[in-house]
Amino acid sequence: MQISDLPYPDPGVPDARTGPRFLLWLGRGQLGGQARSLAWGLLHFGGVAGLPYAVGLGVDAVVRRDGGGLLRVGALLLLLAIAISLGDAMLHRTAVTNWITAAARVQQLLARKTAELGSALTRRVAAGEVVAVSTGDVEKIGWFVEAVSRFLAAALTVAAICVGLLFYAPAIGVVVAVGVPVLALSVLPLLPRATRRADVQREKAGKATELASDTVAGLRVLRGIGGEELFLGRYREASQEVRRAAVHSARMWALIAAVQVLLPGALMITVVWYGAVLVTDEQLAVGELVAAFSAVATMLYPLRHFQEIAMAYSFSRPSAARAARVLSLTRTGEAVPAGAGTTGAAAAPAPGGDLYDPETGVLAPAGAFTAVVCGDPDLAGRLAERLGGHPTDSAGAARSALLGGVALDELALDTARELVLVQDKDPVLLSGTLRELFDVPASGSVTPRAALEAAQCDDVLDALLQSAPDGVRDPMDARITERGRSLSGGQRQRLALARSLVTDPEVLVLDEPTSAVDSHTEARIADGIAALRSGRTTVVLASSPLLLDRADRVVLVHEGRALPAGTHRELLHGEPRYRAVVTRETDEEQRRAGIGLAGPAEELTGIEESA
Amino acid sequence: MIGVAPPEHDPAAPETAATLPVGTSATVRGYVRGLLRRHRRAFVVLVGVNAVAVVASMVGPTLLGRVVDELSSGARELHLGRVALLFALALAVQTFFVRMVRLRGAMLGEEMLADLREDFLVRSVGLPPGVLERAGTGDLLSRITTDIDRLANAMREAVPQLTIGVVWAGLLYGALVVTAPPLALAALVALPVLVVGCRWYFRRAPSAYRSEAAGYAAVAAALTETVDAGRTVEAHRLGRRRIALSERRIKEWTAWERYTLYLRTVLFPVVNITYVTILGAVLMIGGYCVLRGWMSVGQMTTGALLAQMMVDPIGLILRWYDELQIAQVSLARLVGVREIEPDAGDAAVAPGGREVRAREVRFGYKEGVDVLHRVSMSVPPGTRMALVGPSGAGKSTLGRLLAGIYAPRTGEVTLGGAMLSRMPAERVREHVALVNQEHHVFVGSLRDNLRLARSGAADAELWAALGAVDADGWARALEAGLDTEVGSGGSALTPAQAQQVALARLVLADPHTLVLDEATSLLDPRAARHLERSLAGVLDGRTVIAIAHRLHTAHDADVIAVVEGGRISELGSHDELVAANGAYAALWHSWHG
Repeated sequence: MQISDLPYPDPGVPDARTGPRFLLWLGRGQLGGQARSLAWGLLHFGGVAGLPYAVGLGVDAVVRRDGGGLLRVGALLLLLAIAISLGDAMLHRTAVTNWITAAARVQQLLARKTAELGSALTRRVAAGEVVAVSTGDVEKIGWFVEAVSRFLAAALTVAAICVGLLFYAPAIGVVVAVGVPVLALSVLPLLPRATRRADVQREKAGKATELASDTVAGLRVLRGIGGEELFLGRYREASQEVRRAAVHSARMWALIAAVQVLLPGALMITVVWYGAVLVTDEQLAVGELVAAFSAVATMLYPLRHFQEIAMAYSFSRPSAARAARVLSLTRTGEAVPAGAGTTGAAAAPAPGGDLYDPETGVLAPAGAFTAVVCGDPDLAGRLAERLGGHPTDSAGAARSALLGGVALDELALDTARELVLVQDKDPVLLSGTLRELFDVPASGSVTPRAALEAAQCDDVLDALLQSAPDGVRDPMDARITERGRSLSGGQRQRLALARSLVTDPEVLVLDEPTSAVDSHTEARIADGIAALRSGRTTVVLASSPLLLDRADRVVLVHEGRALPAGTHRELLHGEPRYRAVVTRETDEEQRRAGIGLAGPAEELTGIEESA
Repeated sequence: MIGVAPPEHDPAAPETAATLPVGTSATVRGYVRGLLRRHRRAFVVLVGVNAVAVVASMVGPTLLGRVVDELSSGARELHLGRVALLFALALAVQTFFVRMVRLRGAMLGEEMLADLREDFLVRSVGLPPGVLERAGTGDLLSRITTDIDRLANAMREAVPQLTIGVVWAGLLYGALVVTAPPLALAALVALPVLVVGCRWYFRRAPSAYRSEAAGYAAVAAALTETVDAGRTVEAHRLGRRRIALSERRIKEWTAWERYTLYLRTVLFPVVNITYVTILGAVLMIGGYCVLRGWMSVGQMTTGALLAQMMVDPIGLILRWYDELQIAQVSLARLVGVREIEPDAGDAAVAPGGREVRAREVRFGYKEGVDVLHRVSMSVPPGTRMALVGPSGAGKSTLGRLLAGIYAPRTGEVTLGGAMLSRMPAERVREHVALVNQEHHVFVGSLRDNLRLARSGAADAELWAALGAVDADGWARALEAGLDTEVGSGGSALTPAQAQQVALARLVLADPHTLVLDEATSLLDPRAARHLERSLAGVLDGRTVIAIAHRLHTAHDADVIAVVEGGRISELGSHDELVAANGAYAALWHSWHG
């Protein structure tokens, strides 16, 4: 796999039973890449290992006053330079390619899993885990994948140097062969503690960042009411705590660095001493002594990779475990046998059926604009869920709504969502240009322009253009930031409504679509929805009279059951319970009205007549 | 593979116009100088311990050179014991000082970093409310998260490591010269390649790495958004599009990875060749000199071993140099906040009463485009006024002028005869508060969340404030009471509870005039009804200017001002306006049946 070929056409099906199995699965997918990396690594480290040999030969040649020999050493160095450079560059390229392809693959798997889980994610804690894998774990997994073959090459090279020394200078070779494993293993006991301290530091840094961004996010509140000093004080404390944790962690790393100086140094002293004795006994040439010294010095370089692989593995193991956990999530969470629930056993209903909620008895006739009024917010939320085909209790007792007599949750998920679109109370605007926002699967018969007009979005377009970089003239090219944060609540709501109108599904359910919109605009939006959806089934859960007034029929859900439907005006006059909910009369006013004292009811009737 | 052009799409390019200024290079340089001056002592210490460590590390090669000299001249008396002892001593010193270098480097880096981030927050919380209101907090937020993060690496590692690397390389070169002056030529032979290669690399690398990092962040951001919008994605059947988006982002990111990989494919051989060239040149020049009798074998050996040691500091410098370049951009963004004029208020301006007046006010966000045209109004103390009108008519803007957040372009807004725009924000908020849809709950205890409005308030006062907004019920039910951790990560408050906390803050801050900008409109209307009682508790006895989306709010007001097209088109009580049969009356009828 080359980087330029990414992303994978198909990232495959991972073995996500455990973390190590997942790592193994990733590794199996790039055996060729790992082999290439190992081969180039051997060339690189081999070249590096050849340097002390060349230095030794050079010193020897000079001692023997052999000018030709010195030139030959120069030629050898040239070859080594080529081997080292080529090997290093290619090792780096292949190893980085391994990590990028592995990271891309995991990200692709995550994207597919997230899309599959959809609304199931927000209901569970898993959402945070998915994000954590994507933002942090992928890099750690990639690091290990990258380091594996480099480590193998380094280990083979170290072994080769030891063997080489055994032949070249057997006595010194033995000392080195015994000393090197000690060096390789010496810092390992310190690493867990060092990584633990680093974790603490990272955690504290994360907290401080959170505190800072939280303070900034609420800065308008602070500047408007006060408390800057209180929050600055808190942040200073957190910041200093990070500093202390970082220094605490640095102490450990400093100690490790010291050990990495001390032990190789001790080995070198031994080599020099022992070697010098051997030279005086004429068992060793001077050049060989220098080569041995230089070899020990050079070996520190590949030895670093022992430490790297230990760290990479200890970091990536929990990350791989979490990735495996996330990738084995399913929509239902429990081990529900395939075929039950949302797997789409039923055939799609014929178009033109009524939407009916068996729990409350709410009926939305095909082609009509129905408004539903609920006194109880929880009940309204559950009703919206069921209308979208989500059973509202896990035991399955509360059934989903029926469309044309077919239960929505028995349809294939995609079919159900295509037939009925429920815009919930908190629709999310995905970031991107306005054009991208409206790039949703749609019937095609409602243009974005018509939808924007119906949702009264003129001022939103102006606001978007204002914050766009110079040169953007068409509001459709202006960008919406994440969650539409740069827009006001009402502006966001109107854009979301426009998006739902563009989709133009057979059945559109809107839950409080205009709760943050001012009354002037709301009245115009209500007209817009009614006009754009004429002849299509539309359900609005709302409490504002301006919306209710435009509906063909209004249903009041009282104590969990639908009362007989009527128009807004009919109910306003004929149904006191309805009047109480939509005109926001207090209990007291109601009581007064009920007893028949002169109350707002009569006054308002008078106004209506004069209108 | 002859060269890779940088990808066309740059994920680091700004998508929205930067709303806050970015520091000029002069400001950045000035800031860095100040930072270095503040930590001068730590710097000197770091350079000092580093020098000791490096000098100690050179003892080994020097001693070995002498041993080689003596061995090659056939000496029998080697004093090996003394040599080993000296070597061991130098090693002990080196070990100790290497540890010190690492530690001192980290301490210096961490101190500078802490300085920088605290400094930035101090500046941020001092920004004038008008700037925040206009710019929003998004830009500031990205600076305090992304830019501080990028700088962390630079301060924590790059600055100390570069200091170490430069000192180290310099000392090694010096030692080479001292050992045998001709060997110094060797480094000069290798230098041209390094300089040319590095110039090529560093001209391209910083922006490429910035784009690469932005590209990678975009991959994670796309996924995070899909997770966050799970319901919306499913409802609109966007699953396949989200996968396609993720894959497009991966393609864009990996294109930058491929480009930076190409940059390193050029740099790495340059570095490797430089390093081997130094070593080879030392051997050749040294060998030639030895053969000519100008230098001893020992000197040459020491030189070769010192040249071999060069690889570490060179690697260190190259490794961290571009990090420093990347950090410069982030630093400019952080320092840019310093260029905003702090609140230019005059502490001597104090209101002589409670009446809010606007006289002939004109105001606009853009040059030449006014949002408000000659608005005049007066709100006597204790009045409840409602501003109604269509979106974009200028209601919110007018509210912000009356709350002293913006200054009028012409005309004046006064409180008790004194101009609001000339008072410092801290003075204004003693008298007037703007309550908007933003009911931010800060991460921290419930107590902190309330006490920000009145520092040093006793628990009894806090409870009284919660009681006044009808929130003491659920607050008392909290397990840890006022100590309960709330905000993101803590125990989650419902939107209605968050709103009540915001209202309780107002009770504590106790301004006599409130500007309400749709304080409850983001809530579920069904929950908003419960809050109206809480709100009534706050409004009691204050002047209230309410920007109303909902007509029932207007109904209860003493005066209603209908704002249309930046002008006040109707003004009067509910009954008067209904009787006048204008725009308000039409709306009221449609609303109330």
